[in-house]
Amino acid sequence: MFEQMTHRAIRWARRKSPWILHFNSGSCNGCDIELVDLLTPRYDVERLGIINEASPRHADILLCTGPVTRQSRDRLVRIYEQMPAPKWVVSLGSCSCSGGVFQGGHNVLGGIDKVLPVDLYIPGCPCRPEAMIDGLVQLLEMIK
Amino acid sequence: MTKVTIPIGPQHPLLKEPLSFLVTVEGERVVDSKMRLGYVHRGIERLCQQRTYVQNVHLMERVCGICSHVHTTTYCQGVEALLGLEVPERGLYLRTLLCELERIHSHLLWLGVLAKNMGFDTIFMYAWRYREIALDIMESLSGGRVSHAVNIIGGVRIDMDAAQVEAVLGQLDELDTHITTLLGVIEHEKTFRVRTQNVGLLSPEQVRRYCVVGPVARASDVDVDLRRDAPYSIYDRLDFKVITHADGDVWARTVVRLLECVESTKLCRQILASLPDGPTSTRAPRKVPAGEVVSRSEAPRGEVIYYIRSNGKDKPARVKVRTPTLPSLLALYDQLRDVNVADISVVLSGVDLCIACADR
Amino acid sequence: MNNDAILQSFRDAFPDLDLEITSLPVDEHVIALPADRVHAAVAILVEQFGIYHLSTITGQDRDENLELFYHFWQGHGLTLRTSLPYDAPVIPTVTDLIPGATFYEREVCEMLDVTFEGHANLEPLFLPDNWEGGAPLRKDFVVPPVEGGLDVDKEAAA
Repeated sequence: MFEQMTHRAIRWARRKSPWILHFNSGSCNGCDIELVDLLTPRYDVERLGIINEASPRHADILLCTGPVTRQSRDRLVRIYEQMPAPKWVVSLGSCSCSGGVFQGGHNVLGGIDKVLPVDLYIPGCPCRPEAMIDGLVQLLEMIK
Repeated sequence: MTKVTIPIGPQHPLLKEPLSFLVTVEGERVVDSKMRLGYVHRGIERLCQQRTYVQNVHLMERVCGICSHVHTTTYCQGVEALLGLEVPERGLYLRTLLCELERIHSHLLWLGVLAKNMGFDTIFMYAWRYREIALDIMESLSGGRVSHAVNIIGGVRIDMDAAQVEAVLGQLDELDTHITTLLGVIEHEKTFRVRTQNVGLLSPEQVRRYCVVGPVARASDVDVDLRRDAPYSIYDRLDFKVITHADGDVWARTVVRLLECVESTKLCRQILASLPDGPTSTRAPRKVPAGEVVSRSEAPRGEVIYYIRSNGKDKPARVKVRTPTLPSLLALYDQLRDVNVADISVVLSGVDLCIACADR
Repeated sequence: MNNDAILQSFRDAFPDLDLEITSLPVDEHVIALPADRVHAAVAILVEQFGIYHLSTITGQDRDENLELFYHFWQGHGLTLRTSLPYDAPVIPTVTDLIPGATFYEREVCEMLDVTFEGHANLEPLFLPDNWEGGAPLRKDFVVPPVEGGLDVDKEAAA
């Protein structure tokens, strides 16, 4: 009984304060600045409990932008491994969904689902902040 | 004292883009640094050779998300010169309007990121909130906040009517008040000045030696601005000041960039006041005659140079891009010598790096 | 900067060469030189005319040889064009005259496999660690496979 209540409390806390880690694995920067825009007064995702964390060890959700380049592939996998479970990966923008306009580049491997298991895809080039909020809210519903 | 090497990046709260620094410190002072680029290298120059000229306009927009319009402007200028096309006046005016709006949005973005990395979250929130006004104007003109897809080979694909001009003028007034507020804040806020003055010093000789361009060069008293010295588009008809500052530190760069925002709003008003009538674009043929062109422009961070070679087909034979962040990165080694560890974040942010631009 | 004065200085320094200035859009002037004279020509530009701003060094693979451009700018553009044979892509560095050329030479070295003699550090700048694929901008380049068996996305149809 007590255990059940603790588990419910933990799941509630996880849903109400999803801390994100942002990693740019080769993006043009468009999706990244729209992502940082989420923290600013107009979109203000802190009301959903989301804050941008600096360390992989503190984060619940990995928000990844950009196609995976050969150089950043190992670092991306290492960051994912450093995040404690339960963790979710969101693929932000068309480039991280599929490689975007950079498909076929000699240094580009494709979308991040080539190296990581992705839970949510948010397309767009660049992805609008409204679409990001919608995606994150859907992810929070999934977590429930 | 023993030397310790601190890795900064590729994932780091300071950096929005992956870049790896290995900073060697002795006690609290930095003695050496090593940089590793290439995390964002997407091989765009090679991709250009496999896509047509029209597809490349969309590709060059995504070299960098912050200065996307100026990349397509330089590219389209080059291809139009190869084709011998004359872009209609109205198209050139609208293209330049967006260039200046992009300058404002880029400088305000930079100010917010510098303030955040210094720990001054209030300026970050305010600067990015005022930046939304510039993004709103660009969205009302083109449909996109950050990536506009306005340039086509032969002109622009958008147009404005009188009501839109009125609305934009009103929003420019609003932007002006806010930029003046921000200027006042950084002028009087002692904590900001203390953290940015005498940090990241670059002398004019160092600027010339490393071929640094843009506001970093102008903040070290090197008076060069391609909009005045090699006017492209309609800049020869517009009246503006080139801002320089003699100090050469991060404080000087802040002042130069904010005053450039003020000049940009003035330029936008001049453009809207003298917008000529007529079409905004002209038809461009698919195949470009053989030839070479070197096209330059002044991005928010400095000189962008494109070399385009055509061999008569519908795909370019070579597109070479050099963005302004690359020489600034070279000058970083000197700036990171003999600073405190706590100043590394200010020095790195003060240069306004755009690694996506540099790596291509 | 005065193109005629520069051309005259080059003609005085290299009397055996037949030098001309051609112009390119947009406001660019090109002088073609053999590869072994480029360093001396850059020295003239820097020491005699005070031209310090090297915008970039472009390299490209023309089918018979490799071509390098040194794009200078002072008031308007001046480009030095030179070509290198495939079997001996070596040219002296200009970083002793213009330290700003460091990154540009490194980029041409890794993208086209050109060696700049005298450059302090010709490590790859943009290409990843453990890159075994060769020079990406050469005509005979093929995208190398990725270790770990990941398939690289197909290239756009040429």
